[in-house]
Amino acid sequence: MSEWLSSPLFGITLSILAYVFGVWINKKLRSPLANPLLIAIILVILFLKLTRIPLSSYQVGGDFIGMFLAPATACLAVSIYNQFALLKKNLLPILAGSAVGSAASMGSVWFLCRIFRLDDQFTASLLPKSVTTPIAMGVAEQLGGLTSITVAAVVITGILGAMLAPLLLKLFRVKDPVAAGLAIGACSHAMGTAKALEIGEVEGAMSSIAIGVCGLITVVFAMFIH
Amino acid sequence: MKILVQISVVFGICFLGEGLARILPLPGSVISMILLLILLLSRAVKPEHIREKSDFLLKNMAFFFVPAGVAIMDTFDVLARNLLPFLAVCFISTLVTFAATVFTVRGILWLQRLIHAKSHPSSGKGAVSRV
Repeated sequence: MSEWLSSPLFGITLSILAYVFGVWINKKLRSPLANPLLIAIILVILFLKLTRIPLSSYQVGGDFIGMFLAPATACLAVSIYNQFALLKKNLLPILAGSAVGSAASMGSVWFLCRIFRLDDQFTASLLPKSVTTPIAMGVAEQLGGLTSITVAAVVITGILGAMLAPLLLKLFRVKDPVAAGLAIGACSHAMGTAKALEIGEVEGAMSSIAIGVCGLITVVFAMFIH
Repeated sequence: MKILVQISVVFGICFLGEGLARILPLPGSVISMILLLILLLSRAVKPEHIREKSDFLLKNMAFFFVPAGVAIMDTFDVLARNLLPFLAVCFISTLVTFAATVFTVRGILWLQRLIHAKSHPSSGKGAVSRV
């Protein structure tokens, strides 16, 4: 039985089914809380717990899916390339906004972790939480964090950002689409970008530029911490 | 056949990136992203060379993180023990990051407008802000 379950096909099929179900729920509910990734993770964990199948059997297929993370990150270059004209035109606001945003994110996480007396490993897992998952995972690994906690933090942050974005834009009276898009992308990566695209085209493009630029800047900051 | 070639282009760049990660202090995936951006900008690789493959990876990006998230099963007690601080850090730092970015971009755009207005008094203000 356990030999049969440690075929990579088990983990792959279970992951796809859980994710497809998550996308379906998301389309039905249209709420950022119903995040497909979050639903899929919870479903797979529940399934493994209920059937008492060990995580290691699932991970045989899981590792296979994980192999696609690096190519998926690399392809973010295509979306930066597609927005390159807009990037050149607003180079200074983008670079300054992303640098200050990334510094504010890492600085506030570090400060709050000190206040809450969280240990170094937990802090390292949370530090890159505002950037897109593949980059955050790479950075957390480099700083000695637990990548699974990083994934949870990135997803929760993305959901918060997407939920709060319209409210925050009103609160800070943000009218400029460049500022709005960069702020949404800087604090809540791809999930925020989906929301930014609903608000407007320039907001969406700026937000997706911020994903790449903030990701790179965070990598550079992490190098210094390291 | 076309999709096979596209996979080999993307995977080849990533393989090269992983090799460079042994020398450079950056995650391999980030090196691969920079490599691909350089290749695209220098027109060595055209977007249509990898279109279907990159569309597939970008559109289903979230799916590839399912196993990484499921791995939390092994460290769940660490997260459960720190659940409230964890949520507080996520919430507060999201607000701080948003505010810091908005005020920086606003300040820079304002400065650019000011400089632009001084050097071109006739064109008036607001020329830089719209995209």
